[in-house]
Amino acid sequence: MTATTASRASRTARRPAPARNGGIRESAVSRTIAMAVMVVATLYFLTPIWWLLVASTKTRADFTTTAPLWFADFALFDNLAALFDYRNAVFLRWLANSALYAGVGALFATLIAAMAGYAIAKYSFRGRETLFNVILGGVLVPATALALPLFLLFSQIGATNTIWAVFLPSLVSPFGVYLSRIYAAASVPDEIIEAARIDGAGEVRTFFTVATRMMAPALVTIFLFQFVAIWNNFFLPLIMLRDESLFPVTLGLYVWNTQVSQIPDIRALVIIGSLLSIIPLIITFLGLQRFWQSGLASGGLK
Amino acid sequence: MARDTAGRPSRAVRHRAALAVFLVPFGALFTLFYVIPIGYAVYQSLLTVEREGTFGPAVQVFGGLTQYIAVFQNELFWNSIGRVLLFGVVQVPIMLGLALILALLLDSPLVRGSRFFRLAFFAPYAVPSVIAAIMWGFLYSPNLSPFTGVTQAVDFLSADAVLWSIANVVTWVYVGYNMLIIYSALLAIPQELYEAARLDGAGQLRIALSIKIPLVVPALVLTGIFSIIGTLQLLAEPQVFQSFTSAVTSTFTPNLTIYSTASVPNISLAAAMSVVLALATFVLSFTVLKLTQRRTAR
Amino acid sequence: MAISSVARVGAMAALTALALTACSTGGTDAPGASGGDCAPSDGPVTLTFTSWLPGVEEAVAIWNEENPDIQVEVQTGPNGNGGTYQNFFNQLEAGNAPDLGQIEFDAMPNFRVQDGLENIAACEGILEAESQFVDWTWSQVTFGEEDAVYAIPQDTGPMAMFYRADLFEAAGIAVPTTWEEYEAAARQIREEGGYINNFSQSDINAFAGLVWQAGGEWFSNDADGWTVDMTVGESAQVAEYWQRMIEDDLVAKYPPWTDEWNAAYNSGELWTWVSAVWGANTIASGAPDTAGNWAVAPMPQWEAGASAAGNWGGSTTAVLKGSDHPYEAAQFALWLNTDADALTAMNRTANIYPATIEGADLPVFDEGVEFYGGQKIYEVFAEAGDNVDPDFTWGPTMTQVYNDVADGFSGVLAGNGTLLDALAAGQESTIAALEAASIPVKE
Repeated sequence: MTATTASRASRTARRPAPARNGGIRESAVSRTIAMAVMVVATLYFLTPIWWLLVASTKTRADFTTTAPLWFADFALFDNLAALFDYRNAVFLRWLANSALYAGVGALFATLIAAMAGYAIAKYSFRGRETLFNVILGGVLVPATALALPLFLLFSQIGATNTIWAVFLPSLVSPFGVYLSRIYAAASVPDEIIEAARIDGAGEVRTFFTVATRMMAPALVTIFLFQFVAIWNNFFLPLIMLRDESLFPVTLGLYVWNTQVSQIPDIRALVIIGSLLSIIPLIITFLGLQRFWQSGLASGGLK
Repeated sequence: MARDTAGRPSRAVRHRAALAVFLVPFGALFTLFYVIPIGYAVYQSLLTVEREGTFGPAVQVFGGLTQYIAVFQNELFWNSIGRVLLFGVVQVPIMLGLALILALLLDSPLVRGSRFFRLAFFAPYAVPSVIAAIMWGFLYSPNLSPFTGVTQAVDFLSADAVLWSIANVVTWVYVGYNMLIIYSALLAIPQELYEAARLDGAGQLRIALSIKIPLVVPALVLTGIFSIIGTLQLLAEPQVFQSFTSAVTSTFTPNLTIYSTASVPNISLAAAMSVVLALATFVLSFTVLKLTQRRTAR
Repeated sequence: MAISSVARVGAMAALTALALTACSTGGTDAPGASGGDCAPSDGPVTLTFTSWLPGVEEAVAIWNEENPDIQVEVQTGPNGNGGTYQNFFNQLEAGNAPDLGQIEFDAMPNFRVQDGLENIAACEGILEAESQFVDWTWSQVTFGEEDAVYAIPQDTGPMAMFYRADLFEAAGIAVPTTWEEYEAAARQIREEGGYINNFSQSDINAFAGLVWQAGGEWFSNDADGWTVDMTVGESAQVAEYWQRMIEDDLVAKYPPWTDEWNAAYNSGELWTWVSAVWGANTIASGAPDTAGNWAVAPMPQWEAGASAAGNWGGSTTAVLKGSDHPYEAAQFALWLNTDADALTAMNRTANIYPATIEGADLPVFDEGVEFYGGQKIYEVFAEAGDNVDPDFTWGPTMTQVYNDVADGFSGVLAGNGTLLDALAAGQESTIAALEAASIPVKE
């Protein structure tokens, strides 16, 4: 498809959906069925999260003895206090680490992937397709296969158990290169690059001043996907890190979860910790919603 | 085209410099953190261990394809691949079907408040797999579930059912994500196409079937391939489910098999398994791609 | 679609791989103690210590206070099988393992076979420490070798029977002292609507503890290699006993360590738990409504009047291969696991039950426990610890054994085959795993 469809995507995304397709009156029956499907689906998607929210507010005794989907004695603040009190508030440290790994990591990953994708889209050079295909091949490799070699690699330079061991590998986003290539091809017209060249702007400057602005929705999308991917990843930190103060929140919760059989009281901390660990993601998504909506559109285009 | 001003580097040179600036950061990181580790895994897979006596130290020697022969004779490994293939054949179409239906409904004038629904369906994507699996583990539990009426009648964690219970967790997390990709593709369809159809008197169902679905096929193929890759690499959900039910064995999925082989520790065999799994993933996603391309080729 | 010529990817990856075969395999050996010498380092040293024991930092802080020149830095992770052992192996391969690591008894042979442990026998005071430890624990860290000590025992899990004293009394059922009586009691309890116990499909180390009590063992070794015997003698006897209990519906089948399992104890559905000393806290927190109603008795016996006990769990502190300071590491390991203050601290934060003889006399073990109706339960466990067979040997790939046998056991609970079949399958896969890792096996 062409640049016009992609830019239409960003325009239409801002229009309320019901106005699309002309808003013809459909029969009340179709409307009712459609809404019923929506409501059932909403229940399916939100009930587990609701359960987690409710469970976080319960005392240990109430957790097993009261109705799981409704509040009992409201102990949320006690649970929070217990969570923050445990081991010198190590949980807050984990949250901060995750924010750092995922936030800064996704930022750089996006930039790096965008540059590569843009270059592959806008410059022709020998081996271009091969390079692109090798990069795409990266998504085929199982995480378990990379873990040990990566560990040995970082051991060679004595960098295991440092933030770099987790941070650097997460800067690579093959999917990001894919997305930004497609999007750059569709939404950055050659004429504009040419015009910038005639104005005397350098190639790199053209990218940063002109292209990035046109690719903004795709960049936000890449950022979000990478943010989620890093936030969710616990396998690499599990292998690389020994120092508790460097853990991201998912690894910390995993470690606590393996200690439940030894110290059963930790379970309550795991539950409230889980809730706290998904809130930043939901906030990030809501905050950037406007952008990723249209960025996603490019993923399905040729 | 090229009109180089005198005194400035030629366009070709500038292009090359720019290319380097754009590609070197990603290229270097990709080489370091993908290519070299993969190469090392391949190298590991060609080694085998020798030792003498009960507590003799291990010596790694070149073993050729010994480990690959062991992989092909390893019934448990192939069982685990068969299991995730079965999983994929059932779960991926259901997930994508649901995602497609929800996306079409969101895109139709039948639904009000689509903004809210969009977010509600997408919310599970923000839940890390590990935590999603823990939550569903509780929801499946015969005694603690909010739906004990159901969970006491059906044992979701039994050996027969647990694969599908995990499928539900994966579906729960990813339907919204896939729905958004399809929905975004729907938004990109030009309005004029609908207007023409509507003048012909086509209803919403008709429009969906004959205009919308064919146009989002590329999006479906993309999400389908990523789903297949994800299925073959299933790890976190079954790993967490091991604490809820012993029906999830240590060789339940290929990645679990690799993990438990690596912790023997038998690193070379695990590396050979990884290589075979990556190749199987490649062959499968490539086949699906070719099949769907042929079908949709005009 | 853009992925159209992915075909070349595979070829490219293979080529790159070939170009990279020069990668080193990582250091394996570093100079260190080899049984022959073990000298103190010059100047102050810092040791790294990886342990998943909750709150172990408190005990370490005491040491750091007293030994400004030998500072210990604690690193943590998930429990051994949850990933820390895997990490140790990776680190040993890379030559950057911590100086000290927590290793459970059943994983010791695994690390020994992989040459991951320093022999600290020559370090000052280590050989002499033998007399401070409960008999069987010392043989687990020496593997029966002369002049060899590969770790210092930390804690143990002597087994006994937790039971609902109130329910037994109300139903007029005698507390069983033999396995025969246990089965008879199980039938009576079933008539009362309860279960005498839960059969755990995944706690294979607990099942091994039952075999251990019966006098059986799964593994043995001599200079030529390993022997695997999981389906004969006492092991078969224990398997057949529990098979009957399962078939006659005398035991519940909850997945252990889940809330349903806790709930079954809390509601009074389950009447006993044959478990280790640390289980005392598991019940107390999992079944709070039953406080005061529990008691502890020795394990039921295969022969009336005998007093054999099994063991489930327990760890050591090992000096890992490649440590630059084996002398200091050994001193710390010995102190951590013998010093009364350290043991008390670890008991408070992680409920450990010390492996030393004197450890059983710490004040905390001399008190009646309210949850158990004021009974001095630790006396039962101290006695059990003395009655654990010291000759039991673990295999070199226990994680794999546990996984494979657990896979079989859950099949049994789902109605496929018997426990003995599962053990036979486990034995077969164990031999295959040993052979695949070139560990010599005698058939």
